Amino acid sequence: MSKHMPQEKITSHNDVSEKILAEQIAKLPNKMTPERDLWSGIERAINHKAQEIPSQQQGNIFVPSAWAASVAMVMLVSWFTFSPSINEQGEPALVNTQAGSSVTQGQLVDFMQKNFQQQKQTLLVSYGQPTVDKLPPAMQKELKQLADARGSIRKALLTDENNADLLNLLDFTQQQELKLLQQLYRQYQVI
Amino acid sequence: MDSQINKTTKVIDGQALFSASNRHTADDSEQAWIAQAKQGSQSAFYQLYEKHHRQIYALCWRMLADKDSAEDVCQEVFVVLWQKINNFRGESKFSTWLHSVATNVVLGHLRKHKNWLQRVFSIEDQGPSLAEPSTGLIDDSTLTILDQHIARLPERARLVFVLFAVEGYRHEEISNMLKMAVGSSKSQYHRARSLLKESLTASDFISIDEELTNE
Repeated sequence: MSKHMPQEKITSHNDVSEKILAEQIAKLPNKMTPERDLWSGIERAINHKAQEIPSQQQGNIFVPSAWAASVAMVMLVSWFTFSPSINEQGEPALVNTQAGSSVTQGQLVDFMQKNFQQQKQTLLVSYGQPTVDKLPPAMQKELKQLADARGSIRKALLTDENNADLLNLLDFTQQQELKLLQQLYRQYQVI
Repeated sequence: MDSQINKTTKVIDGQALFSASNRHTADDSEQAWIAQAKQGSQSAFYQLYEKHHRQIYALCWRMLADKDSAEDVCQEVFVVLWQKINNFRGESKFSTWLHSVATNVVLGHLRKHKNWLQRVFSIEDQGPSLAEPSTGLIDDSTLTILDQHIARLPERARLVFVLFAVEGYRHEEISNMLKMAVGSSKSQYHRARSLLKESLTASDFISIDEELTNE
């Protein structure tokens, strides 16, 4: 970046000529010193922004899990509101997979629950048995919502154990809970 | 990095301990600081700040013509630099790249702080009248006389003048930055020069300058 030196222009004695102006421009200092210390503010700002990033990442984790919990709850409520008898006509997807076997629906729910607990336990062991209460409150709330949704579905299945949609919903909710736990533990390693 | 950083020594944190020993040239040191800052070293970033902040402050001051704004925006430049330093790929000199980052931050600041009247009608703040040399000059003995007069130029003329004559940008680049025609950039530059010459002449600049030279 060079400085531009214009051609000299003759002017009267006290007039500032192009040449004088060009000389003054060339003499301009390229440094000035601020009166106050600027670094402390910069340091604060970059540390503050560094803290913002993980919290934004937490937010990103919540989006799918919150969405999943909401979907589970909406489906559950819709089910009870609009389709009380559909299970008598429909063919459940998970039940289909069990067709021909001697496993009853009640046993299937137990099996799913045991399988879920086992996967959860394996996950916790692999991360050194962390405790959830050390997570930020927003995350705890998110996990609790998923667990509540799972509990509600299980409760509903106690009275309607042949309901295939509820079984699928339970499976979906369990998988979402495991996914969220895995993401959180991966991020925080030890909670 | 906490506040207890020893600002007088060139000790860099983390794995790569670096000292400005004789075997390193200034450029080598800067390259090392850039690399470490990209890895998140705030100590290395501090070294870059120490090396460049006075030039960046000068740029901010000349473009904004206000000490407090210049200090705030200079801080903002380094915060943006911290966020964007990974974008620096070494295709140009670091100082050149940093000046372009700073120029963009200053222009962004000016856009943000334009009042609605200026936005709607493209009115610029004329500042103090340049025909009256005794009024409106910034009372700061650390500034050169020319800087004091540059500060009194109307905003657009001042920006073009600083970017072209001091920072060395071409009119094509300035027209892009300021979203104006190339011809407008050139005419603003000539306007700025004329105003400066008038203003310096009216303030008896030559006799002042001669006195200073004789001292």
